[in-house]
Amino acid sequence: MSELKPLRIGIVCPYGWDTPGGVQNHVRDLAEYLLMQGHMVSVLAPAVDEDALPSFVVSAGKPIAIPYNGAVARVLFGPVAFARVRQWISHGNFDLLHLHEPAIPSLSLLACWAAEGPMVGTFHAASKKQRAIFAVGPILEPVIEKLSVRIAVSEAARLTLTEHLETDAIVIPNGIFAERFRNGSARPQWIGNTLGFMGRFEEPRKGLSVLLDALPIVARAIPNVRLLIMGPGESEDVMKDVDPQVAGRISFLGRLNDEEKSDFLSSLSLYVAPNTGGESFGIILAEAMAAGAAVVASDIPAFAALLGDGLYGALFESENAVDLANKIIELLRDDEKRTALALGGQEHAKIFDWDNIAEQIFSVYEMSMVGSGPVRLASDTRSWSRLLNRRGDD
Amino acid sequence: MKDGLLVGIGLLVCLWYLSFSATRLDRLHHRVETSWANLDGLLQRRAAVALELAHSDLADPASSLFLTAAAYEAREASIEDRSQAESGLSGALGLLQVDMQLEVQPAEQALLAEISELTKKIKVAIAIHVDAVNRTRTVRNKMIFKIFRLAGNAPLPMTYEFEHDAL
Repeated sequence: MSELKPLRIGIVCPYGWDTPGGVQNHVRDLAEYLLMQGHMVSVLAPAVDEDALPSFVVSAGKPIAIPYNGAVARVLFGPVAFARVRQWISHGNFDLLHLHEPAIPSLSLLACWAAEGPMVGTFHAASKKQRAIFAVGPILEPVIEKLSVRIAVSEAARLTLTEHLETDAIVIPNGIFAERFRNGSARPQWIGNTLGFMGRFEEPRKGLSVLLDALPIVARAIPNVRLLIMGPGESEDVMKDVDPQVAGRISFLGRLNDEEKSDFLSSLSLYVAPNTGGESFGIILAEAMAAGAAVVASDIPAFAALLGDGLYGALFESENAVDLANKIIELLRDDEKRTALALGGQEHAKIFDWDNIAEQIFSVYEMSMVGSGPVRLASDTRSWSRLLNRRGDD
Repeated sequence: MKDGLLVGIGLLVCLWYLSFSATRLDRLHHRVETSWANLDGLLQRRAAVALELAHSDLADPASSLFLTAAAYEAREASIEDRSQAESGLSGALGLLQVDMQLEVQPAEQALLAEISELTKKIKVAIAIHVDAVNRTRTVRNKMIFKIFRLAGNAPLPMTYEFEHDAL
């Protein structure tokens, strides 16, 4: 793809750039990958600290916190933001726009409304029926329809889209830099019978409590088992509900940088993802697999799909601590099985590598641009004369 | 006076909505055309590569004949027979690819790689085209589009039935 004419690509990220999250990471990695390929990329995103942004990110203003999908989403909309979006589009001379999560009230939706021309939309979220979405469906429909091609990051996200907005999408998973994780090296303080957990552990849907309930059962069978928790949050709040007998086995590592993260994942015996729902893809599982960790995950649809229904990682019944404990014990006792699972997972994780994913996304870009000019502001093309002329030129 | 103003505003809103809907449908029609042009181009390229394969050293006389016939059929098919002809070509290519695992020269290797590349793209192109067609048909079925004849004389786009498994 590098021999092609470089494109001017505008990417819109709906969530605050400063807060860590799946969509933000995806946008950042994609933008960096496309830049490496020699394309011109500009990312429009809400941001609190405008000075800390990478050179390819343009701030659209400070995000507003609203409750959405069981968490707080940092989004941005309003007349000022809309003006910024229009300005960014008209000054950018983009060949195409790539809008992330255009169905939530934020910048992507505004951009989709304001622009005319080749537009690709990526839908990340997967959620069960939401009345609110049904209610706004008729308003969203004509806007979402403007996207030349829709991408869903998982089968779950695609189903959400077909149910809520009656429109189909092409499934292209999230990408990871598999190489970085493959090159992680085990660190002595993290090896042994270690279980790993990663993420904002205070959020109930991440399911840390299920793992904490399973830990005492595991400890009876595997005396030297330890649990390492990585991620931002208040560890005291978690520890006060923990069985005191296993408290000594739990360590909190806080936030880790990218290198520490791949070392962490490479050191573990087992990576455990006890999430109870609200996951659309499960990028962390792909990362853990790429780093060579054997994975145990809850059997929510996104994880089951990503792990090939148990082929590349063990699945346990979601929210069932006893089942989780049994799966962990079984794998910790059987080195051969665990190694086989880890090797199979590492091989499987290659399909999520950016080299592969970006090529698929780029092929969608090419198709979205067939027969269309560059991106323009919709207001420049929509006019009364258009309606009046229509009857004549058909 | 006040009533007149309200009626005026109401009329303006209605006119705006009509204009908005017309633009919307126009965009969809445009997308049906461009997505078809894209798909058609990819299919033509595939037929051309298939012909090259048929004339290469790789194909024995029988499969060469079979593949050539399938490629010509796909190229010359009318719009109604197109999907069937293309599925036929997919089948012929599939047969050849199974046979060709044995010894492959670099030149043929490149052709085979191009075919699999094209097949991937065609799958995406089909999904995009089918979606555009379905979307257009749904929208044209809505009341406002029928009453105000916003579609004008544009023909209703045809659904192009591709069997996914055939590709």
